[in-house]
Amino acid sequence: MGTKAHPDPQGLLIDELKLGSSSAYKEAVREYSPGMLAVARFYMDHSSAEEVVQDCWVTVIDAIHKFEGRSGLKTWLHRIVANRCKNKLRSSNREVATDFSESLDPELADRFNATGRWDLPPKLKFHESADTLMENDALSGCLDKHLSALPETQRSALMLYEAHQHKSEDVCNILDISASNLRVLLHRARQKIFLMVETFQETGKC
Amino acid sequence: MLMCRDLADIASDYIDGELTSRQNLSVKMHLMMCKHCRTFIGNLRASTEMMKAHSSGRPNEEFMRRIDERVAEALKTWEPEDGDKN
Repeated sequence: MGTKAHPDPQGLLIDELKLGSSSAYKEAVREYSPGMLAVARFYMDHSSAEEVVQDCWVTVIDAIHKFEGRSGLKTWLHRIVANRCKNKLRSSNREVATDFSESLDPELADRFNATGRWDLPPKLKFHESADTLMENDALSGCLDKHLSALPETQRSALMLYEAHQHKSEDVCNILDISASNLRVLLHRARQKIFLMVETFQETGKC
Repeated sequence: MLMCRDLADIASDYIDGELTSRQNLSVKMHLMMCKHCRTFIGNLRASTEMMKAHSSGRPNEEFMRRIDERVAEALKTWEPEDGDKN
């Protein structure tokens, strides 16, 4: 397999990985492990997730020559992690069935009257900016708690789409779901986080 | 006519620009008239941003170092597929 000239740095990195360059691996590990860990963490606890990511990098060494660049490297790596996690969960019978039939969260649905108007409208505007949140330990802890309480599929969809900014198409590929099901998962997860932040802002409680 | 409940149902699609232009127009018309839905959309968008900021933390260097070690170990015994290792 010959090395081609690449105008883009990622293409160059991939070529170097295919040649087994240890410095290329160090660079790629730093660039892509945070996202890989995020994918894995939403399937399993922290230490198991770290274990999976380490195992995946060893797999990558043997698999990278098969990488043809049809998806981006990030998407390819995330798919490897997701598949390994799903296999692990499958072998421990931890798969969760997902219901895609209703996109409105029941708690939110209850806040409308029979005519479809707000009965219990949102009272407060959220003033905390994303940056302020990072300094608010209580809210941050609460977010952690609620994110980990989300069903696996909602969590993964949310993380891949929001935090790691994959395109919808890539998230569907990684998680093996249809585009319309992804929309349901994202909307349900966001409503849960919305309801959590609302409760926190109104009552100070998680 | 689009009701508040209908709007809440498609709010994420609106935020992500996934609605048809017709749907998008009816959401915008509704938002012009409805303060509660404006607050709802704003808050849903804000919670999404918070989630994004919250999740962008990076794993520690110790974790990276352990991966480096595993990779270095595996590379020692690795044979390139087509014999093109320099």
